[in-house]
Amino acid sequence: MSIEHIKGCIGCGICVQTCPTDVLRQDVKTKKAFIKYPADCQICHLCRMYCPVDAITISPEKSIPVVVSWG
Amino acid sequence: MKSSQPKPDMSRRKFMALAGGTAGLAAMAAMGLSPEQGECSPNIPAIDVDKMTYAENEADVLVIGGGMAGLFAAVKAHDAGSKVMLVSKGRLGASGQTPFAKGIFAFDSSSEKMTLDEFVATVTRSALGTNNQVYTRQMAEHSLARINELREWGFFESPLYNKNFTKPIKERNIALKERIVITHLIKENGSVAGAAGFSQDEEKILIFKAKSVILCTGAGGFKPNGFPICDLTHDGTVMAYNIGAKVTGKEWNDGHPGRAKNAAACFDGWHGMFERKPGITGVEVHHDLGVDLNYKVYATGNAVKMGPPGAGGREVVAGGPYVPEEFKRRNGPPQGEKGPRGGRPPEREGGAPPPGMGEEPVGGSSAGMAIHKSEGLVPINDKCESNIPGLYAAGDALGSYMAGAIYTQIGSSLAGSAVQGAVAGQSASEYCRGVEMPAISEAKMDEVREEILAPLKRESGYSPAWVTQTLQGIMIPNFIIYIKKERLLKAALAYVEELREHHLPMLRAADLHELRLAFETANMIISAEMKLKASLMRTESRCSHFRLDYPEMDTENWNAWINIYKGSDGSMQFEKQPFDSWPT
Repeated sequence: MSIEHIKGCIGCGICVQTCPTDVLRQDVKTKKAFIKYPADCQICHLCRMYCPVDAITISPEKSIPVVVSWG
Repeated sequence: MKSSQPKPDMSRRKFMALAGGTAGLAAMAAMGLSPEQGECSPNIPAIDVDKMTYAENEADVLVIGGGMAGLFAAVKAHDAGSKVMLVSKGRLGASGQTPFAKGIFAFDSSSEKMTLDEFVATVTRSALGTNNQVYTRQMAEHSLARINELREWGFFESPLYNKNFTKPIKERNIALKERIVITHLIKENGSVAGAAGFSQDEEKILIFKAKSVILCTGAGGFKPNGFPICDLTHDGTVMAYNIGAKVTGKEWNDGHPGRAKNAAACFDGWHGMFERKPGITGVEVHHDLGVDLNYKVYATGNAVKMGPPGAGGREVVAGGPYVPEEFKRRNGPPQGEKGPRGGRPPEREGGAPPPGMGEEPVGGSSAGMAIHKSEGLVPINDKCESNIPGLYAAGDALGSYMAGAIYTQIGSSLAGSAVQGAVAGQSASEYCRGVEMPAISEAKMDEVREEILAPLKRESGYSPAWVTQTLQGIMIPNFIIYIKKERLLKAALAYVEELREHHLPMLRAADLHELRLAFETANMIISAEMKLKASLMRTESRCSHFRLDYPEMDTENWNAWINIYKGSDGSMQFEKQPFDSWPT
């Protein structure tokens, strides 16, 4: 998992707007952010850096197999 | 919604069981296809295509892209008197590569020891003639003025750019639309007439009518692991190519390595650099981050150890890409796109490795991307204008060859985006004064709408995620685009042509996120084909293009850029344009 968890979300939606790869969405009812498309996370941490309440924790591991040039 | 399609709340497994029974599932499993993962399977839409709404917008100048180039294009077009609209796939200042660029070059003639003429000559020597000297000079000449504007907007006060990018846009009341995926450029009567795309947040297709369009869409890659460009897929280049624009620079390669462990974690690989405030760099010309280090890894099979002299990075390997004597590294690792002078570099004794170059580096973290500003639309003059009337490009979307086909001046990538954005904004505004608002025919709008909706309407097809991963498997291995040779380029091309001919027309999408992925995947396939064909055509090695079967520089035949355009029969055409010239 790339984004590990979101705790203490205040539902401002900034992370959803900020994510360059559209990984996050807001729950329609609670307005809280959740990880909808984890495979597309590029682990850039922009969502975490923009979060006003530091609610996002990110791990360096990708959720899908990684293709690299040199193994 | 068609009755043959399952309801959105029905699970894929349940649908498969109903449609094909367990025997069908077993057969698919035997073929290596998992219906659960949805590589090739029925499309179960999460949205109702028939309820998609439409909206039309109008502006004199439409700027596509919300990075550094887009910011200046919008501001300068507005200040020149045009009605401007800025549309971005992401959020202003928080998408593309701009959020991660921390060094910006300023040529300050009052403090530099080198004159502007000497600077251009030095870059030209390092770039082995591949740079467009007009754009090299323009970048340096205007850099300080743009930096002073950025300073006024608060750019140097925060590591996050959204707030300070928003300031000049809000002050000018420039219309801003974020999270809009532009999929089409529209041409009518030979000139650009606007663009079209869809929202990622609401089920809406948007048509933009404009006298002029400026592409500030960045470059792209194959959603590589370890480099923050997974939202950039050469969208602008491919859209422009589709309406007849010439594009260039596809054979060059950015040579950024990444880490062996957790290769996809670009934040970690860049040692927290993303959290730094930006800073200013002065003249420091290099010949960096081509494929020379990657060649060394290829030849020895070992990760190249970075670090101070004596740490293993100075091992000599015969052959490989030519580096001009004047620019050979003598003091530790290459500096590449290292952060600003005076900033906080990653802590390492005896020298700081640039992004992605700590620990155990492996090549190819930015696979699919060329050297900044060496790929993109072919400019026909120094005004960032393309061969399509009304269509401009700036920054990484413009093949300006400002730096050449290798990294020459640290920080010039971001400075070049600012400078070119401003130039394109002013030029586009001037162009608008002489033209009427174009009309887009109903037939054209219908055609574009149908193309946008096609992946959602497909009842079955290929998942963009699977096609992308297949494309990565073809293009990313070191022996395809890094260490090139005819046999392997042709082999990869056969696969990519198959994806283009057969799989691209069958990309499917269940929701707006997947619709975006479908268009991104299609653009990456076209870009891969361009990259392989241009690499085959350039039968020499120079700067960031290395052919194992043509390892020498060939100045007799190859003092030329390669331009790519769509022929009248729809096929991909190639032509040479001599260095230091404009298209004829």
